Amino acid sequence: MPTGTVRETHFVVGDWQAAGFATGPADRARAEAGVAAAYASAGLKPPERYLWVPSPARGAVAAAVIAGHGEALEAAGLDDLLEQARTDLTDLGDLTAGPSVLTDVRTRPWEAERAAACSEQGPEQWPRTWADTGGLLWDQVQSLVARVRGACGEQATGRSLGARRRRSTREKREAEALLRAATLDAVLGQHDAPWLALFESLGRLDGPLTGLAEVARSAGWWWPYERLVILSERPSELYRDEPGRLHRADGPALAYPDGFALHAWRGMPIPAGFVASLKNLTPDRISSEQNAELRRVMLEIFGYDRYLAETGARPLHRDETGVLWSIELPGDEPVVMVEVVNSTPEPDGTHRTYYLRVPPDTRTARAGVAWTFGVDEADYHPEKQT
Amino acid sequence: MYRQGDVLILPVPEETVPRSVRELPPSPRDGRGRMVLALGEATGHAHALAAPGTLLRTPDPLVPDHLHLPSGGRLVHEEHAAITLPKGWYRVVRQREYVPGSVRVVAD
Repeated sequence: MPTGTVRETHFVVGDWQAAGFATGPADRARAEAGVAAAYASAGLKPPERYLWVPSPARGAVAAAVIAGHGEALEAAGLDDLLEQARTDLTDLGDLTAGPSVLTDVRTRPWEAERAAACSEQGPEQWPRTWADTGGLLWDQVQSLVARVRGACGEQATGRSLGARRRRSTREKREAEALLRAATLDAVLGQHDAPWLALFESLGRLDGPLTGLAEVARSAGWWWPYERLVILSERPSELYRDEPGRLHRADGPALAYPDGFALHAWRGMPIPAGFVASLKNLTPDRISSEQNAELRRVMLEIFGYDRYLAETGARPLHRDETGVLWSIELPGDEPVVMVEVVNSTPEPDGTHRTYYLRVPPDTRTARAGVAWTFGVDEADYHPEKQT
Repeated sequence: MYRQGDVLILPVPEETVPRSVRELPPSPRDGRGRMVLALGEATGHAHALAAPGTLLRTPDPLVPDHLHLPSGGRLVHEEHAAITLPKGWYRVVRQREYVPGSVRVVAD
């Protein structure tokens, strides 16, 4: 049963949003106490050792080694990663980790609380509760988790956009799969924020989930074993744009203290240094870029207006709301944009124009502008605009 | 329906405002006592109202905000002409841009 006094939902969601995207050193003492509490509540003795790693990437390699995949990583030629993980683990002396206790510590109590909360709420209220709590955070946190998981695996193949495209052997692909799988054995710590927001809003963090919540407030991902727990630091840097996507031009959008990092432009993965490399960009270079996502970033940085002018593009449609433009790109959907004019003149009497990308099936300028506000074309009739 | 730059303000009947929105605490006013509908990222310019009323905002930046003006108000912005809003409830929509779904990145 839920216990304690439940705080107002918006405070709960706000706090978990802050925890989910928190950066900076972990509060190790608090995290370790949380781990011990989670073990105790699962009826287990606390782990004998706490191994702190600087990033989930390092944690994933160590977890893969513990799971017995050292030879597979070796066969893939991942000597550096392997050596690092072995060093991390040999610091423990003759301690063996023992089996994973993920099911006891996280999965089972979590499922029990979820099932209880779900049946208590009922089929109509349950989705509403989720929408008011975890649902508000889910997409942003989940896209971050998916990117980190992918990058943990890509350590094996060097397939990340930043690396030169290397031949990926069967062994490397297998090692990539093993590292990704190792990330699935982790408790997500701060990135469990959406569900923890839901549980807290229902007064369900004062029971078996207390310890898990405590770790989530203080650390990153962690791997629980019978005698050992591997805990990761949180990111040292995290930059997002207004809709919450990873976004930064002059450095990694997400970085951990050991240099494990992701570069992104409005959520799109880009190689390190990519934006800086675009100084002498030309329309030719943009249209010859084979990678559609990189081409989009190039277009955005080059400027749609400049691209339209320099390639002599012709408008698709024009009405009193603006002008509709399209840029055809080989192997990709066209870039369709509305050119909108600010109604209020600038101090010098000119009107500022700007471009907004709209869905590629847009046929009229009015439909495009209406879409940017989530309104139907027929309903878009501002009685006053400035 | 009113538009000031990248903000669209739609009058809505009071009964269509969801209960979960009405129960939100009012968004705090800025240092000049104004309700700020949207702050320009680059310029710091704001779409703002000094009128009595409440601005109700969900944590998700992509979910529209709601504005209640019991006696109407005047929406101002440094770069746009002011707009006089009659009393009532409004949905406040920020302009968005299309972001393509996941496209296939050219394979190895």
